[in-house]
Amino acid sequence: MPPKKTQGVGSGTAKVTSLKVVKGKGGSGKTTSDIAVTDELDSWMKTKQMIRPEDQVELNEQDLKEEITRVLTMQNPQIPSNIVEFSFKEGRFTPVPPVTQTILLLEIEGTILCKDSDEAKFQLEGNLDFEDQDKSMKRNSEELNEIILEDENAEKENTEIEYEGKEDENEIAKEGEDKQGEGGGGGGGGEGEGEGEEEAEVVSAVPTKQAPGGSAHFIKSGAKKLTNQFNFCERGALTYNNPFRNLETQTVPPPRANFAGQVMQWIIYDAYQQDFEVQQREKEKEKKDKVVPNQKPEAKRKDLQATADISNRTLLAIKTLERMINQNTFDEIAQDYRYWEDPSDEYRDEEGTLLPLWKFVYEKTKKNSVTALVWNPCYYDLFAVAFGCFDFMKPQPEGAMCLFTLKNPSFPEYVCSTETGVMCVDIHPTHPALVCIGKYDGSVAVYDVHSPGKLPQCESNSVTNKHCGVVWQVRWGIDMPDGEVNFFSVSADGNVYNWVLTQHELSQTLIISLFFSFDPIPGPDGTLIPLTGCGTTIAFHPTERLIFLVGTEEGSVYKCSTAYASLYLATYEAHHMPVYKVDYNKFCPDIFISCSADWRAKIWEDTRSDPLFVFDLGCEIADVEWAPYSSTVFAAVTNDGKVHVFDLNVNKYRPICVQAVVNRKRNRLTRIAFNHKLPIIIVGDDRGCITALKLSPNLRKKVKPPKKGPVLTERELELMKLEKLLALVREPPTPTPLPDYPAPVDS
Amino acid sequence: MTEVEGKKEETETAKKIVHTYPLIRHSDMMEEMKGEVMELVVTACEKHSTNNEMAARMIKETMDKKFGPSWHTVVGEGFGFEISYECKNLLYMFFGGNLAICIWKCS
Repeated sequence: MPPKKTQGVGSGTAKVTSLKVVKGKGGSGKTTSDIAVTDELDSWMKTKQMIRPEDQVELNEQDLKEEITRVLTMQNPQIPSNIVEFSFKEGRFTPVPPVTQTILLLEIEGTILCKDSDEAKFQLEGNLDFEDQDKSMKRNSEELNEIILEDENAEKENTEIEYEGKEDENEIAKEGEDKQGEGGGGGGGGEGEGEGEEEAEVVSAVPTKQAPGGSAHFIKSGAKKLTNQFNFCERGALTYNNPFRNLETQTVPPPRANFAGQVMQWIIYDAYQQDFEVQQREKEKEKKDKVVPNQKPEAKRKDLQATADISNRTLLAIKTLERMINQNTFDEIAQDYRYWEDPSDEYRDEEGTLLPLWKFVYEKTKKNSVTALVWNPCYYDLFAVAFGCFDFMKPQPEGAMCLFTLKNPSFPEYVCSTETGVMCVDIHPTHPALVCIGKYDGSVAVYDVHSPGKLPQCESNSVTNKHCGVVWQVRWGIDMPDGEVNFFSVSADGNVYNWVLTQHELSQTLIISLFFSFDPIPGPDGTLIPLTGCGTTIAFHPTERLIFLVGTEEGSVYKCSTAYASLYLATYEAHHMPVYKVDYNKFCPDIFISCSADWRAKIWEDTRSDPLFVFDLGCEIADVEWAPYSSTVFAAVTNDGKVHVFDLNVNKYRPICVQAVVNRKRNRLTRIAFNHKLPIIIVGDDRGCITALKLSPNLRKKVKPPKKGPVLTERELELMKLEKLLALVREPPTPTPLPDYPAPVDS
Repeated sequence: MTEVEGKKEETETAKKIVHTYPLIRHSDMMEEMKGEVMELVVTACEKHSTNNEMAARMIKETMDKKFGPSWHTVVGEGFGFEISYECKNLLYMFFGGNLAICIWKCS
């Protein structure tokens, strides 16, 4: 036995704070203080050595482990339990009832039953008689409400007596059941309910009659469902059901159609064939569509890259097309132009005709007169036209310089518009793209036809570098020793200028100023003003380039040299009215022709002051020109719309052809030009229209080379012809009178 | 007329091309329905290539299940017909070079 240390009370295992204490002396009379002390001591002294009092009862282990329960009760054990008191009434000692040590403050009836108790078991079994009876009582009659309330109140106030009463109820219920079945049970239950038996009886009497109906329902209910017998209430109800009604309708049936057909083997086959064909076609179309869109983007790219090339090419193509169209349109004329030879010329000796070919018109220059016509020296089908205006009274319309080609009669190849009228034009003999013009306002300009722009390559300054009057004629001169091109111009202010083209600039040099041989005339303010003539035309000697002829408005023709600025080499009193044109013979440079407004055309020889031939045409002669193919042929145009062609070899006095080319009343012919190669002449009028005419064979007779004799060139032949002619015309040299021989005297 | 496949078969007799792809001759149906039915027909005819009745039965029953009751089907190589049908529920097509199938609904 392990030594134990206890103090005061023999306690077994240490630290016991519960009520369980080892059995020892003192038994149940131990107070809590002892235990507390023991605990304190135990905690202070943690040794297991226990000192046992000597008089402690020795117990075996089994007894030591025995647990003894301590109960706290209300009974005061110290109080004697058998106190008696002398009762004088009875004359004996009567026991005094023990004073209860407890005061009941509150008692609430509980509804919990111990599971093992009889009542609980009774309930669990499903025997709910007394409960049913209670419910039925409450439900079935409203009269019971007061009773119920009273019952409830009574329940609350009841003490243990009720509890006992319930037990009695159960018993009574059981008995009732045995005896009367339901009714008895109901009665028993009713009795148990209330305090007063009378009331209970009454209560029981009423419900017993009614109970059987009610309780009949619930005996058969489920075993386990335990509901609160006082509060639970089951009640069923049925809502109002709407009455049913039938409604019938019929929908519109889906639309129907008829279909008919026939099936045969050949029908099937044909259908397949057709469909196959359609399929093939579609496939082809798809292929084409794929190809085309591929080409289009490629084309666009190309265009973007090389628009210039294409535009040029397209231009060329369009040009060719235009020419083709023109050719087609004017097919007959084109044929005539080349191949027509007037057969009637064989029969008409000494007479020829002019076959009209095309008319060249440019819309914008319809109001203008043709002031100059020049064939291109290099391209025989190209000619330049100057559009200006001869009428000085009316306001000047805009002018233009156009290049036409015989291949396209509809539209000029090159158009260059100017603000003022262009009075003269000339194409450079060796640079066929350079064109110089002289304008109405006195300025000159040089154009390069090749350049795409419409601006002149260079232009004379409009203030200082120009003529003071209308520029009547311009002529290209021989290139300078440096190679610079230059040209001459003569104008109404009486000056002849030489313009040199130097790198976009024109530098002018005064060649000569036409002066009169008259004395200076006193001017308005008294100063003497030297009179100057107005030059109207200029022509260069074909071989001697320094020499040129100038025609003036006064009617005289001066032969000048570029070397001499103030001297005339010769003066020809040619006409009475302005000289419109002077032209050198293409074959014999000593011969030149002049035409004037005084109706006359005169042929001069260089050294002679008198004309060789004089022709009166009956109207102002606007222009005259020698033919390039013959030394004796020349043509003149007059203001009455006629073209006069002369061949001196054939007829010295009269023209071999006089033809009205344009309507006399409206148009006046202003210019004429021979084509270098072809037997074509172009004639310009004052309506802006140029007419091309073909010379009939009679007009272009050429000298036949003699069958015998040395082989001579055409030129020489022509010269010879001319010489012959001239020899006839020239005044015979005044024969020196023969010396008078003394006449024989015969008186 | 639309085609789903294009097949060419050269038969023994040279230079005769026989097309066997399904070719719709006349149709009243919606596009989707048409496609479905065509596939069904092709399946049925290929499966029961020797027995027209079985093919027709298969088609009819499937149609009834899918699109509602009372479909009618005719499968054959040579016949004439005159029918009443509910609108938008008719298909008349060729298949296999020699078969014609007519399907319609009429309750």
